[in-house]
Amino acid sequence: MLLGEPEQFLSYNGEVLLFYLSKTKHVEEAADKTMNLCVRRMAFNRDTKLFVQKSSGVFKMHASHLKIEIICCSCTMDSRTGIILPCILMKKKQRNNVVKYLLLLLHSSNQFEQSFHFQLDYELKEDIRLFTGPSVLWRHANKLFYISSDTCTVQSAPVQLSSIVWTGEIEDEGTVVLGVKTACLPESEDEDEFPTSDRAIWGSEFFGYAIETQKMLTGTCFMPHAYSRVVSSVYVCKNEMLKKQLRISLVAITVKNQLVWFQDGLPKGVCELPYEKPCSVKTAVTSSNDLLFIVSFASGNVGVVQRRDSLQVASKWQKVKSVLVDDFIGSGSEQLLLLFKDDSNTDMLSTFKITDLGPVSYASGINYKHDASAAEGLQENGLLTVQALETRLQAGCTSVRELQQHLGLKKRVILESCRALIDLVEERSHILPTAKEEGLVSLWDDVENPPHSLSKETSLASKVPEHFIEKLWQRVVGDSLVVGVKLAESFYLSLSDVSLSLVMDQDFSSISPIIECRNKIMKLNKAFSALSVSSCEIEPPQKKMKLDLHSKNDLKKEFPKRCSRVQLDGAKTVIAVTSLSPLLAFHRVCCIVLLHAKKQKRRNDSLQESKKITVLCGKILLSLEDISNGKYSVKMLRDNSYCTGSMEDILAVLAVSLRFSFQIVSSDCTLTPINSWLLGEMECTPFKECHDNIFCHKAGNVYGTVFNWTLKNPFEGVLTLFCRNLTVLFQCLHSLFGVLPPSCDVKLLRSGSKGVLTEQLALALEKEMLALRSSFFSKESKAENSLTWGSEPSKKIIDAPVASLLDSEEGVQQFRKKLQNEQQESVLSMNQTVNGALYQETALKVVEAQLSSDMIVWRLS
Amino acid sequence: QAARGSGSGGAAAREARQQQGSFGELLLRMRGLPAALPTLPLELTVLYNSLLFTMGASDSAIEGEAEGIRQGLLRVLEACGACGQDLSTEELWQKVLQEVTAEELQAPLHRLGGLQAAWWLAAHRLGSTAGLFHLLSNAGDSGRACCTEGENELLSLLKAWRVPAEEASLPLVQRTEDLKGILCTAAAFLQGLQELEAGNFPAAFSLLQEAAGGFCSKRVLAQIYTCLSCCAQRMGKPQTALQHLKRALQVDFQCLPALSHAAAVYHELGETDAELQALALLYEALEKNPPAAASSSPYFLIRTELLVHTPLLATLLRHCHPSEVKYLLAQRCLQDGRVADAVEHYLDFLALLQEGLQQQVPLDGSSALPRIPEVFLEAASALEQAGRHQDAITMCEEVISRTTDLIPRMLRVEERLEQMECPSPGAGLAGGLLSQKKERLCCLAWRAAGYLHQGWAWAMLGESKEAVTQFSRGLGDLLRVQLYGSGVEPKENLLPEVEVLQKIRLLSLIGRGTQFLELGRHKEALLDFQHGLQISPGDPAAASYLVQALWKLDRKQEAAAHWQKFSQSPPGEDGQQEGRQGRPFPLYLASCLKQAVFPHSESLARSIQDYLGTRSRD
Repeated sequence: MLLGEPEQFLSYNGEVLLFYLSKTKHVEEAADKTMNLCVRRMAFNRDTKLFVQKSSGVFKMHASHLKIEIICCSCTMDSRTGIILPCILMKKKQRNNVVKYLLLLLHSSNQFEQSFHFQLDYELKEDIRLFTGPSVLWRHANKLFYISSDTCTVQSAPVQLSSIVWTGEIEDEGTVVLGVKTACLPESEDEDEFPTSDRAIWGSEFFGYAIETQKMLTGTCFMPHAYSRVVSSVYVCKNEMLKKQLRISLVAITVKNQLVWFQDGLPKGVCELPYEKPCSVKTAVTSSNDLLFIVSFASGNVGVVQRRDSLQVASKWQKVKSVLVDDFIGSGSEQLLLLFKDDSNTDMLSTFKITDLGPVSYASGINYKHDASAAEGLQENGLLTVQALETRLQAGCTSVRELQQHLGLKKRVILESCRALIDLVEERSHILPTAKEEGLVSLWDDVENPPHSLSKETSLASKVPEHFIEKLWQRVVGDSLVVGVKLAESFYLSLSDVSLSLVMDQDFSSISPIIECRNKIMKLNKAFSALSVSSCEIEPPQKKMKLDLHSKNDLKKEFPKRCSRVQLDGAKTVIAVTSLSPLLAFHRVCCIVLLHAKKQKRRNDSLQESKKITVLCGKILLSLEDISNGKYSVKMLRDNSYCTGSMEDILAVLAVSLRFSFQIVSSDCTLTPINSWLLGEMECTPFKECHDNIFCHKAGNVYGTVFNWTLKNPFEGVLTLFCRNLTVLFQCLHSLFGVLPPSCDVKLLRSGSKGVLTEQLALALEKEMLALRSSFFSKESKAENSLTWGSEPSKKIIDAPVASLLDSEEGVQQFRKKLQNEQQESVLSMNQTVNGALYQETALKVVEAQLSSDMIVWRLS
Repeated sequence: QAARGSGSGGAAAREARQQQGSFGELLLRMRGLPAALPTLPLELTVLYNSLLFTMGASDSAIEGEAEGIRQGLLRVLEACGACGQDLSTEELWQKVLQEVTAEELQAPLHRLGGLQAAWWLAAHRLGSTAGLFHLLSNAGDSGRACCTEGENELLSLLKAWRVPAEEASLPLVQRTEDLKGILCTAAAFLQGLQELEAGNFPAAFSLLQEAAGGFCSKRVLAQIYTCLSCCAQRMGKPQTALQHLKRALQVDFQCLPALSHAAAVYHELGETDAELQALALLYEALEKNPPAAASSSPYFLIRTELLVHTPLLATLLRHCHPSEVKYLLAQRCLQDGRVADAVEHYLDFLALLQEGLQQQVPLDGSSALPRIPEVFLEAASALEQAGRHQDAITMCEEVISRTTDLIPRMLRVEERLEQMECPSPGAGLAGGLLSQKKERLCCLAWRAAGYLHQGWAWAMLGESKEAVTQFSRGLGDLLRVQLYGSGVEPKENLLPEVEVLQKIRLLSLIGRGTQFLELGRHKEALLDFQHGLQISPGDPAAASYLVQALWKLDRKQEAAAHWQKFSQSPPGEDGQQEGRQGRPFPLYLASCLKQAVFPHSESLARSIQDYLGTRSRD
């Protein structure tokens, strides 16, 4: 018997069926006219661990062996009996390019039955499937054809398709073909814009076609259309109708070398396949109840993917001729049968392996290279384990370090105790180490160098000004009229409680001539060239080390410096803001601008006497024409990287705006993102006149907001916003919060910066304490003059060396006695009377002091 | 399909790892589909987020991870129908940025470019980074000339990079603005370090200053300030250096290297008080909390510290070991003559050693610690100066007993340097022999110094006999070295070890001589002093003692002659502390040098002058 070249393997009922063609040996028959289709049933013998032939069968056909071919074989259901039988599709070439196809069924008696035959004028090549009936289905020229034993005529489906990825039974639908076709787009999709639906993006879609009912099914319950371009084969694991909805779970293999698990049309898991070009996928349920996906590759490799927590490649083999799934060893669950290519051995089923990746494993005649894999999965597991171990190691390390620290501490305590004990024995007094010895001492003082410009200021102050009002101006911002008076600085310094008032010049008898307005005093720092000298150039003078912290002189010296910095440069402007529209009712208005202030006269050095003064600053004229012509409007222009606007314009905008200050503290990162936010996202530019303030050019509601961002150090700064209304504030803050580093703390400053307020609070508290003390002292001194308590009022127990007293019992007794004396004294002193006037005075002083400190606390909180 | 991951930013490392996993999964799914232009912005954004988590979960930017970016670029080309498998990543970027014009892809590509720059910066590929930003800025607005003269090209390119705005539909786990800030800081920092290494200090200084003004964490800022101070110090501006160190500590007190640098600067300035205080503070800080492992900020996935890794930075920021600091304290106290403090510190240090050598002493080469026997000898020297002679003797006994088995019976050493340092071509073996010889010489020196100290200690205790014994033992050991070479010509290129040995011999001879004088054995004393003068002709102490010995032996004429000779010869450089070639003698010899000074030179001079006077009158 000669072996036909192509063999076909099929597993059926735990047996392996081998189909092959052979010529008959018998000479009397026309050898070249008859071909035999042979089948051999092979069963696995668990004792010999080999496949043995159980039976065989032959089917004779009249044709030359060159013209006859096995196309495919499969197990399908015979619709007459409902029994699943092996089914073989044969091809027989005839003359005139006509091809005859035969469909054979193999019965258990090894008899072949010809189910039906049909003739075509072309050859079947693409996507040939056998299914229930038995029926045959194929694709030709982008059309789907099928024929079954019932009809015996070739039918076609009304659909243009590019490939078939699956054929099988679907509940309630019968046999369904899952194919891919070119997407037919609805006309409405705009060509210019990017399409948004999957089918439009990838240009193809899935469709389902039920053969029996000749009905189209939607493809989306299988897979998203996006996959239609890549999926090459599909295996439907489960399908059921739930609430009239088809629920399908399936695995698909793609040309991107992935195995994707879909459930209800959505991808649930992905696994990279170990080889290129996967061509088919099937499943197996093994004894350990694992669901395995067996992927065959065009190169003859086989990979098995296991589904546990995620999809993982469990094993892979190379040079595999065929892989079959069935219960070959009769254990009740399925195994894989891998048939390896083996050129040396001609005997069929000699080199094989039966495995379920679990306990079952038989192999024969293999000197195979089994890629001891699963390594990839293992590697990942290993990685996770290492990570976990690392974490534990770190935790362990930390606790060890803590223990060490703890031990160190204990050792120090013990050492200290030892020293104390030694001292006790040697009758020395033990001195505890001071806090300085124990803790950290600052190396450097925090005193900053005063800026150089300060020294100039003092000389200017003494000069008597000739023109104390430098300028009077007016602006219209929104619905407000802003009137400003710029005062010479020297003049301003001699004033306190400055305010402006506007009085109408004309006589309108019906209304009061005085216009209600809000007053503000503003000062802008002039533009300074940013850091003219790099600190790299100049070596700073050697700083004197201040090692003893006890000298308080330095602190005192520092304080006035800091105060004076507040009054640094820039003329002050007094500004009055009033509502414009009531004034416009008069069409033309002339207003007198008056400045009120208290002028201080210096007498001696400390005592000051103030006198109220009123100065006429000038007149302003308002008319609707001027306002309409924009004569007084604020002009802010963007000029390269600066914002140009006169000082008056800036002052007017600031005066009208609401002012909010936020202290921003970052615990970890530097605050540079705020600067880039201001200059970038908010499109701010600094004013040419004063670089501190920057103007927001961003179109929309926030336009015109002025910011001031001052950094105290890289991690702390104050952001001041001048905005038109609260909505703008919230908009800005919302935008800011998107930018801030996450570890930032933002706090609204009610007034003044935190540092200044804290200083003020300290001063106020000190004042309060002094007030209390001084009043009590005055009281006590008065009282002491009149009365003396006890025999020895000057001796306080606190002064006595307590330690020496406590050494012995007598000492303690003595101590107790003294204590009792003191107690009596204090009880006596409690019952002192005080004269009413003195009490009143004291109480008033104290309450005043408390009030001021409470105020600061409120502002600080 | 568009399952979109918008990872939460404030995640701990573990969560970041989880996120990294799920982003990876999502990316795998997206790559399972053919590339298509409409989905690429989403895919590239997922890639960006995924890579951020990858970087955030690791401790440094790993080169291999950047493969993801390459994949992304290939996908872009695939969608456009081009391919570039065989291009390098740089070429790939060029191709993608020049050929892909789809408006929707620009923003994701720019973001990805930022990440690529981060990886390249971490790998010190500044050229590639600059090239990429050239492309990125050209893609946006082609007309603008980015680089102005004199300014750093990479930095100006980085600053000119217009970061794409974040789109609401494609959330990012870390803002690209932050990424840009981090890139700027890292680029300035890295280049500053490079310049510092190359010795271009002004350039380094301005770059580091630029970095200090950038976006970074407290830790990094403190590191930058520390580097700035090192730069300033090397430029000869110690005060500037101190100011920067102060800033570093203000920003992050955990930046302990700043403290040790401060100590070094004070040392340079000669401000011993401040130096000692800084060292003490450093020691205290080290003791309280040992340098913790980098506690990374959980807020940002990509951080400056991930990008800046250079050996120089590691050296500059080397964490001192407590024992090193302790030793430095002790040494500085001893050098400065604060004997009591020095004793305390030395004893503390030795106690630290007792706790275990391995844990206490860093064994890498950069340690400031000398050899342990020298520390013992220094401690003995300190003890002796503090008047604790018995303790000093014990300390020396330790050194002597430990070196007993290490010293050779006989050692032949070439005196001269050249012969030993220019070995014949078979260098390896000879070098090994040389170092072995040197090691033996060291052991010998330590042992002899131990005896020397003991001798002086006994002498101080008034036990002259015992002292003579110790001095003699030391001298006996020193005889094991045979110096050969021409001893006639001026010994200029002496081996340092040999020089130390000779000094020890001289000091031992003087020591023994003085004790002989004490014991009234004037002749033996005279011999010792004469030997001493042979070893070191013109040594003032030996000469003075010689005169005294002669005087006591009533050889007054000789004494006077010698005295005249010595007093006329130019007084040898006063630097007793230094060897002939300007090398300082080991610290442990300082106390012996002091003790060897002749104490009665005034009275001796007077009596000799009297004698000479009377003689001339006669």
